[in-house]
Amino acid sequence: MPLLDIKNLTLEIDTGTQVIKALDKINLTVNSGEIRALVGESGSGKSLIVQAISGATPPNWNITADRMSWNGNNLLSMSEQKRRQILRKDIGVVFQHSIASLDPSVTLGEQLEESLPDQLIEGSWFWQRAQSRRKVVINTVHKVGIKDHEHYLRAYPHQIPTDIGQKLMLAMALISQPKMLIADDPTRGMETTTKVQVLKLLSRLNQTRSLGILFVSHDLLAIASMSHTMTVLYCGQTVESGKMKHIRKRPLHPYTKALMDSAPSFSKDLPPKSQLPTLAGTIPTLQHLPIGCRLGPRCPRAQRACVNVPAVRKIHDHSYSCHFPLHREKV
Amino acid sequence: MIRILFRYSILFSLTLLSLSALSFSLIYLFPAEPVTTLTGIMPQNLMQHEALMNQYHLNNSIIVQFADYLSELFAGNWGVSLISGQPLSEEIMLALPATIELSACAMFIVILVGIPLGCYSGLRAYSATDFTINSISVTAYSVPVFWLAVLFILTFSLQFGWLPLSGRINLLFDIPPKTGFLMIDILLAENVDKAAAFSDALLHLILPVLSIAFISTASMIRITRRSIIDVLNKPFIIAARSKGLSSKQIFFRHVLRNALLPILPLMAMQITTLITNAMIVETLFSWPGIGNWLIQAIYQRDYSALRMGMLAVSTLVVMITIAIDLFNRLIDPSREKYESVTI
Repeated sequence: MPLLDIKNLTLEIDTGTQVIKALDKINLTVNSGEIRALVGESGSGKSLIVQAISGATPPNWNITADRMSWNGNNLLSMSEQKRRQILRKDIGVVFQHSIASLDPSVTLGEQLEESLPDQLIEGSWFWQRAQSRRKVVINTVHKVGIKDHEHYLRAYPHQIPTDIGQKLMLAMALISQPKMLIADDPTRGMETTTKVQVLKLLSRLNQTRSLGILFVSHDLLAIASMSHTMTVLYCGQTVESGKMKHIRKRPLHPYTKALMDSAPSFSKDLPPKSQLPTLAGTIPTLQHLPIGCRLGPRCPRAQRACVNVPAVRKIHDHSYSCHFPLHREKV
Repeated sequence: MIRILFRYSILFSLTLLSLSALSFSLIYLFPAEPVTTLTGIMPQNLMQHEALMNQYHLNNSIIVQFADYLSELFAGNWGVSLISGQPLSEEIMLALPATIELSACAMFIVILVGIPLGCYSGLRAYSATDFTINSISVTAYSVPVFWLAVLFILTFSLQFGWLPLSGRINLLFDIPPKTGFLMIDILLAENVDKAAAFSDALLHLILPVLSIAFISTASMIRITRRSIIDVLNKPFIIAARSKGLSSKQIFFRHVLRNALLPILPLMAMQITTLITNAMIVETLFSWPGIGNWLIQAIYQRDYSALRMGMLAVSTLVVMITIAIDLFNRLIDPSREKYESVTI
């Protein structure tokens, strides 16, 4: 059974003047011990999915899904209390903007201790518990690669550099020893050596503790090196999803192909000084979404049928939603 | 820490210096003889005039005069009232505590009612309760204070006769003024039924305090509500919720502190409004505070009293403002310790 199983997740945002369908029938599963990459350009709704899963949604969001379950329990219908317990014990979330996601008036050490569930603290007296809490916090901070814990645990969020903030967010998500980690661009803006350290840590946790990871990013290189499966998102629609090696070898959706082609490290036979292939145009804003397949206006293979939303088709465990996929001839 | 205190004290003394320069310039700006405005004494003949001019160094240059003025201020010689002939320092020291007492009680109510109500309506933003609280507070905010006070008098004192009409305490109680704060004076007084005096003084406080607190509470509710809504939309609240904290934990650990920190400086501004309102209300309730005293001074063209009253009130306001800002600086970790001092 998959850890997280989402089928046809739809998110509608009521802006007061109109209702925007920001996410349209998203399908996503994360198995235990799997690293699932969620890829898409900025504005494709990656962070919205993360927020919808973590349950911290503003009142003007309306989330509907055919299935959104954690370990077989429906997340949408369960009580607030129970969902909170799951978030506290089993799911760790790393948000995109690390410094903004930290409370500016509380020291980082206190915030880390707050994320630690009571079950993981040893001792029965409060001083023993405080000691144990501190020990776990320092261990976790070391694990994510912050060496100077004395200094950073006493600091406030505005006093630390961004990459330390990102590592702290990671520590905060990992401190509760979750079964699944949702990491929204955890290596954004890090320099390569630090990035490799963080990715290595995640892979190691995935192998040793069989931690399921939903890795949200647009860094294709990092994704290709560590993730097992991949879901490609465009403008709030799942475009293609399947095993990493299959998608790399033969993408079926035009958008996936364009995405792969735009990363020079993937196309081996690129002659020097040639232009990188890209799709024309830019991703539409949420206020002006095209009907049907949202890639339509930019798609090189688009035809009249594309004004209808394509159904999800499956070849083994490789699914895509396109009327005119790349393995079929153009009609 | 010491550096901050040092910077704030410099700011404080510079502000006071310019305030005293202004009050000094009033000596020459008022439509009366400088010597009269300064001392409060009308010289009866040329000889007395000459003597006063010499005594107060009014024949020297302006700079020397100002220096002498400052040293007299610090020595506590603030001149005498033109009308009553009493030393101004004594009169102000009796009137100012009455105003402080009134404003402090009002501020207490404002905080006690305004912040919880603001939090409640901020947490339930855009619900029916929130709209109700908000519209009541907007209505309350637009009520003029003098009209409200008169309405209170009409209803509660004249119509129903529940509460006393004016003054600080029934004249039957003979409380010798020691500190000027009636509540403390009652405790210090001898041969007085303290419980009775206390409850009588409290009854006298209710109406003026309510009419001042009404408006400031309304604006406090709206400031708090806005601040709470702003904080609730911050990413770190989403992060806190995704940690699986309960709404109560989130409110007390993350929302409240971050919402109250930006309110504090606004509260300092509220206090100025509050004191101004207190001065208006004092006149209506014949409260023997500085506002009432100043209005009397204006009616009687008591120039020397006006000059000192202005200085005393503005010193009080500056003091409170700087103290609140200093407090805010000390408890807010995100304000850099060495950024320059401003209010």
